[in-house]
Amino acid sequence: MSLVQTGVTVEPAVEQSQRRSALSRFAAPALGLLLPLGLALSWELAVRFGLSDGRLVPPPSVIYATFKELAATGELQRHTLATLLRVAAGFGFGVAAGTLLGAITGYSAFIFRLLDPSLQALRAIPSIAWVPLFILWFGIFEASKVTLIAVGVFFPVYLGVMGAVASVDRKIVEVGRAFRLTGTQMVRRILLPAVLPSYVVALRSGLGLGWMFVVAAEFMGASEGLGFLLVDGQQLGKPAQIVAAIVAFALIGKITDWMIVAASAPFLRWEDRFGRTQEN
Amino acid sequence: MLELDRVGKVYGNGVRALDGVSLSVGPGEIVAVVGGSGCGKSTLLRAISGLDTPSQGRVVLDGVAINAPHEKIGIIFQEPRLLPWLTVAGNVGFGLEDRPRAERERRVAEALARVGLSDKAAMWPRELSGGQAQRVAIARALVPRPQVLLLDEPFSALDAFTRADLQDHLLDLWADARPTLVLVTHDVDEAVVLADRVMVMCPRPGRIFDEIAADLPRPRDRQSAAFDFAKRRVLAALDRSLDRKKRVDETMVTANAGAALWW
Repeated sequence: MSLVQTGVTVEPAVEQSQRRSALSRFAAPALGLLLPLGLALSWELAVRFGLSDGRLVPPPSVIYATFKELAATGELQRHTLATLLRVAAGFGFGVAAGTLLGAITGYSAFIFRLLDPSLQALRAIPSIAWVPLFILWFGIFEASKVTLIAVGVFFPVYLGVMGAVASVDRKIVEVGRAFRLTGTQMVRRILLPAVLPSYVVALRSGLGLGWMFVVAAEFMGASEGLGFLLVDGQQLGKPAQIVAAIVAFALIGKITDWMIVAASAPFLRWEDRFGRTQEN
Repeated sequence: MLELDRVGKVYGNGVRALDGVSLSVGPGEIVAVVGGSGCGKSTLLRAISGLDTPSQGRVVLDGVAINAPHEKIGIIFQEPRLLPWLTVAGNVGFGLEDRPRAERERRVAEALARVGLSDKAAMWPRELSGGQAQRVAIARALVPRPQVLLLDEPFSALDAFTRADLQDHLLDLWADARPTLVLVTHDVDEAVVLADRVMVMCPRPGRIFDEIAADLPRPRDRQSAAFDFAKRRVLAALDRSLDRKKRVDETMVTANAGAALWW
């Protein structure tokens, strides 16, 4: 009897959960799109029906047209590439320095006491405050921009790596000791995998700041880049160009962030996370 | 032959955790160490494992002094301590990294079959129950074929059924290669089920108080009179080691005094 009963109760439950997962796969993202799409559509209609001239706040169709125009002349590609290269260089330097210093300060209490107070003091300075000095030191071209971005990327990466290395579970390290791992084996087989989840988070917040600082860097005088498009749009009174550049920033920022997540995902399948329970 | 020669341990804060512990354990022997909390039983085990070094005396295995973790000594902790980024098979093979791949895979498969977890080889530790995780930890410690296996309250975090199950399982695994087992526990039943000899320790400073032979024939019946008798002897020794009778009297005296004051 109990067999029959479970057979009856289990089936609808399975079916229901499948239906729910199919629903959530498509409906959940769609729900998030409802508000922005609705607003865009109503603004478009408002301009079409003459309720507003849409001069300072261009409707979606005009922004799209601006995009197409910029892309057709090759302007969009040129500016995007310039910005991407700056972020890539600044991110590279910032991550390298942040990882190295974060790892050694996290590992050694002595180096932590030696370096961390100075680094924290530097961190307290709003990074934009460095701009005039960087221009004096490195000139108005690429070097000062890349430096500023690197400074912005450095601190979240440094903090993330240091915290992660310092908080690796002592009990797990002891397992490594019990199996007589050498120093390099301990780093490769215990410490690196243990810090990886926090490292990915640190990289993502570093990249976010990198995108923030590239705009600041391009504001301080650039002849190309998405930040230049923003300034240019302001000076020549082309709000559609400004919004187009902002949308480009949003898209590229999201794509690069997603690239970090996708690249690290195969190494983090083991994670025991809160959000994971629904996937399995 | 595992020998402890007047092993003592003083921690940095001046606490004398161990004092003059001498013990010798023959090959294949199972020794349980019991005692109240703070009697230094875990400190003793860590000294044998080489994870900590004793302040006085020495630990010798087959004529070699142990000052650091040694390949012939395996340890199982109170928690499974599996590496969450390795699969079950990866965890079991953790100590075999230097072996050829084929040999490693064969030995891991054997060990997993032996602990009854062959079907879990590709799973992550987070997907295991507590008992399964501890079985993986046992397999991981046994795969390098240690001569001495140390267990630090290995089943204390598990429910009673799983614990009895794993105790039988451990004996079964022990019978394969008959390593020396040194087991720290606060569970008298566990000590009597598993051990040939039960060492009772007492605190401040941690030292050996009494030694009780528990040489009942195996497999042991937990309900038998002989088992019960051995258990009583260990419990009686534990009580004496903690001076418990006296302490009970003291609390009664202070309680009376308090009651008197209340009046």
